Amino acid sequence: MHGPDPARIVVTGIGITTSIGQGRRAFVDALLAGEHRFSVMRRPGRQRPSAVDGTAAPFIGAEIADLRMPATIPTAMLRNASWSAQAALATLHEAWEDAGLENVDPDRIGLIVGGSNLQQRELVQNQIKYQDRIEFLRPTHAMTFMDSDLCGICSEVFGIRGLSITVGGASASGQLAAIQAAEAVRSGQVDVCIALGALMDLSFFECQAFRSLGAMGSDRFADQPELACRPFDRDHDGFIFGEACGAIVVRRASDVTFDTKQDVTRDAVQGAMSHARSPYAELKGWAMAWDANRNPNPSLEGETTVIRRALAMAGLAADAIDYVNPHGTGSMVGDETELAALRACGLDHAYINATKSLVGHGLSAAGMVELIAIMLQMEAGKLHPTRNLENPMDAGFRWVAADPVDHRVERALNMSMGFGGINTAVCLQRCRPL
Amino acid sequence: MTTTALATEDIFAIIVGHAREVLPGLDDHAFQFSDSLRDLGANSIDRSEIVMLTLESLSLKIPMIEVAKAENMGELATLLHARL
Repeated sequence: MHGPDPARIVVTGIGITTSIGQGRRAFVDALLAGEHRFSVMRRPGRQRPSAVDGTAAPFIGAEIADLRMPATIPTAMLRNASWSAQAALATLHEAWEDAGLENVDPDRIGLIVGGSNLQQRELVQNQIKYQDRIEFLRPTHAMTFMDSDLCGICSEVFGIRGLSITVGGASASGQLAAIQAAEAVRSGQVDVCIALGALMDLSFFECQAFRSLGAMGSDRFADQPELACRPFDRDHDGFIFGEACGAIVVRRASDVTFDTKQDVTRDAVQGAMSHARSPYAELKGWAMAWDANRNPNPSLEGETTVIRRALAMAGLAADAIDYVNPHGTGSMVGDETELAALRACGLDHAYINATKSLVGHGLSAAGMVELIAIMLQMEAGKLHPTRNLENPMDAGFRWVAADPVDHRVERALNMSMGFGGINTAVCLQRCRPL
Repeated sequence: MTTTALATEDIFAIIVGHAREVLPGLDDHAFQFSDSLRDLGANSIDRSEIVMLTLESLSLKIPMIEVAKAENMGELATLLHARL
């Protein structure tokens, strides 16, 4: 039995690692200040070995400068941990501490890792390094090339025994993980579930392919990387990659009693009575819809479907939403389609900004990073600016452009879409007092 | 690495270096020929990594199965020395 209202799902912990900041405070401060780290990417394995015609510019993106690893993570574990796994461990540690999970039965804790083909850069590096001496390939490559290695390494370090799987939904993976975690808790499979939007570690191979496909930003801003990422601006020409990882802890609202006046949470699971702050937000409604279409082209029908279904599950009319955090990649067709979907669903009244304009497109992590950005903006009572939004594609929306805006978000909508025709949307409702 | 002039002790030192790399907790351990990697806390994956790193350092291409019978680090060094 899970109390009188098992369907209500709340977020009780957050962990975040991005190029503009590691940890909740650093991240939200950087968001609200409109900071960015867009530059020529320098992480080994992200540079073309040689340009085909000798003129191609290097890839632009936003990389994490210095990942701080908690002292409690065993160093022996880190030796052969991939970059994606290291980011997952550091990010999950913050969410775990924030939610105070130390007293929860490990058999009742789950982990959903959002993302697939996460560790491409290390695969390419190994293939290049060992192509002439394959006999000496490290045996642990057999473990670390699999995405499920993140499940293994995280579940071992944190003692998670209830559930540990990956879910793949291309750029919607992070939000898909949040939805699957909410479903796992709502169904009673586990009492607590951590959803992690994993760091997708692109190599130059994927960057080249994304660019050739027309999805990734071109060489247009090669000499001005700070201008390249411009979702919803008339001069956008593709997404700009950004390293990121985010994690949230979800559980049934009925397992968490809290007094919004005193902002105190009492954890009722397993009789533990740990005190913490009240939940960040309620995941009030969510939806997934597929376009039956393998291609990367967005679908107005698919996007309007998930918006309407998520609102219906939340029991909300469109005018109840006062803030939209869109997918907003900066791609040519994606931005147009998304604005058309928001308008068709009556959401052009709500404030809107684009988190990717600051941190880039985290691909598998993106949807999770944006869910977290929503909740931290709710807590701050401010909306972050949208960099490079100089000429909005549609001036009829309530854009947060160059400057942050004071706004108490009560109910927000978050969108995520991915290659292969996946559309997701999540409605969040404030729990925590300002 | 030039391996022709290496003695068993040199190979042992290479194994020790890689053991410390894979198992950071052994930084201060005074390694002996009689030490067993298993007894020092190396699981099967750690042991295979240490052996592979050593083979790479020696540029020695032999099947991993050939070194499985070594009971301790000294025997491993001796076995590898015989295959140089």
